[in-house]
Amino acid sequence: MPGILLDATEQLLNGLMYGSLYALIGGGFTILFGVMRKLNLAYGSTIMAGAYVSLIPFYLFKVPAWVMLLSSIAGAVAVGFLVELVCFRFLRKGHELAPLLTTIGMLIVIDEAIVHATGAVGLDYARPFGEESLAWGPFLVRPDYLAILVAALACFSLIFFLIHRTRLGRAMRAVAERPQAAQILGVSLRRINVLTFALTSALAGVIGFFAVVSVGAARPELAVWLTGKGLVVTVLGGLGSLRGAILGGLLLGVLEFETMWFLGTSYRDILAFLLLFAILVVRPAGLAGARAT
Amino acid sequence: MKRLWRIGSVVALGALLAWPAGAGAFQSEGTVRIGAMWALSGPGAFFGKSSHGLASLAIDEINEAGGLVVGGKRVKMQLYAEDDACNPEQGLAVVRRLATVDKVLFSLGPSCSSVAEPVFGTLQKRLDDPGDTGLQLLFFTDTATKFGLAKLSPWVFRNTPDEPAMYDFVVKYLKENYPDLKTVMVAYESDFAHSASTWKLALQPALERYKYHQVVEVVDWRWLDNEFGAQVAKLRRANADIYFSLTHTPSTCPSFRELRRQRVKPRIIIGVTSIAAGEVLRQCPDVAEGLIAPSNFAPITAKAKQVADKAWERYSADSHIHSVPAYENVHLMKVLIEKAGLKNTEESLLEDRRKVRDLLARVGTFQGVVGKIKMNPDDHPVRPRDVDKDMILVQVKSAKWTVFWLPANLKQN
Amino acid sequence: MDYYVAIASIIGIHALLGLSVYLVAISGQMSFGQQGFFAIGAYLAGMGTALWGLPLLPSLVLGALFAGLIGIVVGFPALRVRGLYLAIATYGFGEVVRLVFLNIRYTKTIGDRVVGPNGAEGFRHVRYVFDRGFTGLQFLGIIAAVVAGVAVLFYLLDRSKLGATLRAVEEDEVAAATVGIDVTRVKVLAFGAAGAVAGLGGGLFIHFSSYIDHDMVALPLAIASITYPILGGLGSFVGPILGAVLLVSLTEGLRVLHELRMFVYGGLIIVTMLVRPRGLVDEALVLRVKRWVRPRPMPRGADVP
Repeated sequence: MPGILLDATEQLLNGLMYGSLYALIGGGFTILFGVMRKLNLAYGSTIMAGAYVSLIPFYLFKVPAWVMLLSSIAGAVAVGFLVELVCFRFLRKGHELAPLLTTIGMLIVIDEAIVHATGAVGLDYARPFGEESLAWGPFLVRPDYLAILVAALACFSLIFFLIHRTRLGRAMRAVAERPQAAQILGVSLRRINVLTFALTSALAGVIGFFAVVSVGAARPELAVWLTGKGLVVTVLGGLGSLRGAILGGLLLGVLEFETMWFLGTSYRDILAFLLLFAILVVRPAGLAGARAT
Repeated sequence: MKRLWRIGSVVALGALLAWPAGAGAFQSEGTVRIGAMWALSGPGAFFGKSSHGLASLAIDEINEAGGLVVGGKRVKMQLYAEDDACNPEQGLAVVRRLATVDKVLFSLGPSCSSVAEPVFGTLQKRLDDPGDTGLQLLFFTDTATKFGLAKLSPWVFRNTPDEPAMYDFVVKYLKENYPDLKTVMVAYESDFAHSASTWKLALQPALERYKYHQVVEVVDWRWLDNEFGAQVAKLRRANADIYFSLTHTPSTCPSFRELRRQRVKPRIIIGVTSIAAGEVLRQCPDVAEGLIAPSNFAPITAKAKQVADKAWERYSADSHIHSVPAYENVHLMKVLIEKAGLKNTEESLLEDRRKVRDLLARVGTFQGVVGKIKMNPDDHPVRPRDVDKDMILVQVKSAKWTVFWLPANLKQN
Repeated sequence: MDYYVAIASIIGIHALLGLSVYLVAISGQMSFGQQGFFAIGAYLAGMGTALWGLPLLPSLVLGALFAGLIGIVVGFPALRVRGLYLAIATYGFGEVVRLVFLNIRYTKTIGDRVVGPNGAEGFRHVRYVFDRGFTGLQFLGIIAAVVAGVAVLFYLLDRSKLGATLRAVEEDEVAAATVGIDVTRVKVLAFGAAGAVAGLGGGLFIHFSSYIDHDMVALPLAIASITYPILGGLGSFVGPILGAVLLVSLTEGLRVLHELRMFVYGGLIIVTMLVRPRGLVDEALVLRVKRWVRPRPMPRGADVP
C-alpha cells in the first residue's frame, strides 16, 4: 500500500477507536436529553468528578484498575445524584433555559472543588493498559484506545439491551416520546428521571476512567473539553438519538485524526465546527434523521 | 415585593463587599505597602502561589531583621497580594485596586503574560506627560515572560529569563559539546504565545545563526490538547538527534508518554524555561527523566538551598525560575526604598513611586540568589528594563531537577 | 476611585454583551456565540484607531457595523435550526471566529512598535484613549453613553410594533407566520442587530484594555454572556444589565472570600435560578411594575406572560 493510504488507514483506525469515546460522551448527553428534554452542562464535571474520586483509592491503596473503574462509577453516580437534586429536581417550572444556568453554576462549583482539592496541578493516573503501542503490521495501535473501543461496545450493548429489552427501558422510551401519555399510563416521571440520571452518571464514571487513562493525568480543564466534544457529537447525531451519537462520535473522531495528520492543528479545530454547520444546514435534525420529539 | 428586597440585598451585598477594608496611613502606621497581582486561583495557580510564598519569605526576613528605615523611622513591609486568576479583565480591575485602594508603592507579578499585556498596556507610556492618562504604578515582575512586555511602559521592570540569549547559548553548547548530533526536531504550542515566540523569536533565529543543525521536523499542538499521536508519529519519522519540546506541563507530560509509546528516543530533549519547575516532577517524573531545560535557578549554593528549603517549609512554595525572582525583587526593593528618601504618605504616593522607579532604572547590577543580575536601563536598545542574568542548564534526574551545566563564574557548594 | 470606575466600565461592556444575547433570546433563539461578534467588533475597532488612524467613534461604528453584517450573514443559515441546536451552532461560530483571530496576522510598523493583530501574540498597543488624555472617568462616560443609547433603543423596541413582533415570534412562530409576520426576516434582523450591539461592546473593550487576544473571547466569555440575560431575566432589557451589574460586582466584591470566591459565585448562580427560575427581572415582575406605574388595563390583547 502506498504511504499515504497507509497513513490514512492508521488515522482511520485511531479515529474510530477514539471516536468511540466521543460516542460515549455524546450518548450520555443524548440519553438525558431524550428522556428529560434538558441539557446537562454539568455532565463534563460529573465525568471528571468520577475520575478524581477514583484517584483516592489509587493513591491510598494502589488498587488495581478495575477497582478504580468501579470507584469512578460510584463517584460519578454520587455527584450525578447531587446535580439532579440541585439543578433539576429543586428547580421550579421556569424558563426552559433555567436548567442550563443551574448546570453551569454546578459546573463552576464542581470545578472549583476539584481545583481546591488538588491545587490545580494535574495528577498522574493509572496506566493499566501498558506504556507501549502495539505493532500490528505497519500500524501502531494504542492499547488504551483499543480498551476504549471494547468498553464502548460493552456499554452501548448494555444500554441498548436496557432500553429495548427491559421494562425500565420501555418506560424511558415512553417518557422520551410522549411524556404526558406515559404519565397517564402510570409511569412515574420523577422515578424515570432519577433512574436516567443514575444511568448516565454511571456511564460518566466509565467515560471518566477511560478518558483520563488515555490523557495520562487528571486535570480540571478536561471537564470543559469533554463538554465541548459531547455537545458537538450530540448535535451531529441528533439530540435524543443514541444511534446518532454513535455515528456522530465516530465521524468526529475520524475527521479529527485525518485532518490532524494531513492538514495540521488549525484545520483540525476549524473543520470540526464547519462539519457541525454543514450538518445543521443540510440535515438539521442530525445524522440519525428526524426523531419524534 | 419580598423578591425585590431579595434582589436588592444581593446587589447591596456585592457592593458592600467591594468596599475597601479601611486604609491606614503609611508612615504613621509604620508600614510600607507593597503589592502583588498573581494567579492565586485557576490554571496558573501553581506559579502564583510559589511566587507568593517566595515573596512572603523575603518580607518575613526583612521584617524579622527589624524592617526598613524610612524617614529615620523603622517601618515594616506589608504585602497586599491580589488574585487575578490569570484573567485579563480581573487583572485590569485588580491593578487599579492595588494602585488606588490598597495604595501600594509597587507591585510584583503578574504571573500570566495574558494579564500583563492589558495591564501594562494601560500604564503610562511617557513619563511626565500630563496628556498620557495611563496608570502610574510601578511593576517589578517575577513571572510573565512574553517578549516585549517591559517595553510597554517605563513603569514596568522585569526580573525574568532572557530567552533569546538562553537558546542562543543552548544551540552553541550543543554544537560544541555534541558535534555528532546534527538533526533537530521541534514541538511548540501554537496557541500559547510564550511557546510560539520561544520557537520563532529565540530558538529558530539561534539555529539559523549557527548554521550547524538541520531542522528536520516542526510540529505544533494546542497547549491543552489531549491527543498527540499524529505529531509524535511525524517526530518518529523524522527521528532527529535533538528534540526541542517548547511546551508547558499540560502538553509536555502526555506528549512525552506518547513518545514512549511510539518508541521515539531522541538523544537529547530540551524544554522551555517554564518547565524547569516542580509541576512536571509531580505529574510525570518518569517520562521527564533526562529532560534538560534552561533556567536561572538551581539550589547550587548554600544560600539558594536555604531559600528553597525555607520557602517550602513555611509556605509550601516551590523555588524555581519564576518564583525566586519574587524573593530577589523584594530584597532589592528594600534597599532601593531605603535609598530613595521617601515620605511614605498617601499624598506622596505618586512621587514616591516615581523615585523608586528612577532608582530601579539606574540600579545597574545587583545580587540575586544564585549570582549577579544586571538591570537594563530605560535607553537599552533591545530590552529596556529587563535583566541579564546567569543561566544554568538543569536536568531531571531521579524525579528532581539537578544541575546539568553551570557557567564558570557560578560555583557550586 | 479608579477601581470603581474600572469595575463600572467592565459592567458597561458586559452589559452590552448581555443585551446582545437578550435581543436574540426574545426572538426565541438562544445564541451561545455572541462573544464571536464581540471579538469582531473589538478587532475591527482596534484596527480602526491603531492601524488606520480613525477617531474613536467611527472605529466603534465600524466594528459594530461589521459585526452586525456578519450577524445577518450567519443569521440566515443559522435559522434553519432552533433551540439547543442553534445554541451549539452559534457556539461553533464563536469558536471559528476565535480560531480565525488566532491565525490572522495583519501588522504595520508604526514608529517603534509593531501594531496589529498578530496571531497567538494578540493585538496590543491600542492606546487611543490613553494617548489622548482620556481619564478613566471620561471613558466610563463614553461607555455609559453607549449603554444608555442602546438601552433607549431597547426601551423603544419593547414598546414598538417591532418589539411585539419579536415576542410574538418567540411565543409561537407558526401563529406569527399565520398573521403575516415574515418570521425569517425578523429573526435575521434580530441576529444582525444583536451582533452589532456585541460588536459595540467589543470595540469599547479593546480601548479599555489596550489589548485583545483569542483567549479572551473563548468559552468563559460565552458562559458569562448567556448568564447575564438568563440570570438577570428576560422580561425587559433591564434584566441583562442587572445581571451584568450583579455578576461583575460579585466577582470583585467576593475577593474578601479569597479561595472561596468562585464557589460562592457558582453557588449564587444556582441559588438565584432556584429562587427565581425565570431570572431576576422576569416577565411577571415587569408586568407588576408596569401595573404599579400605570394602574389601568392595558390596551393590547392577551397580557398574560
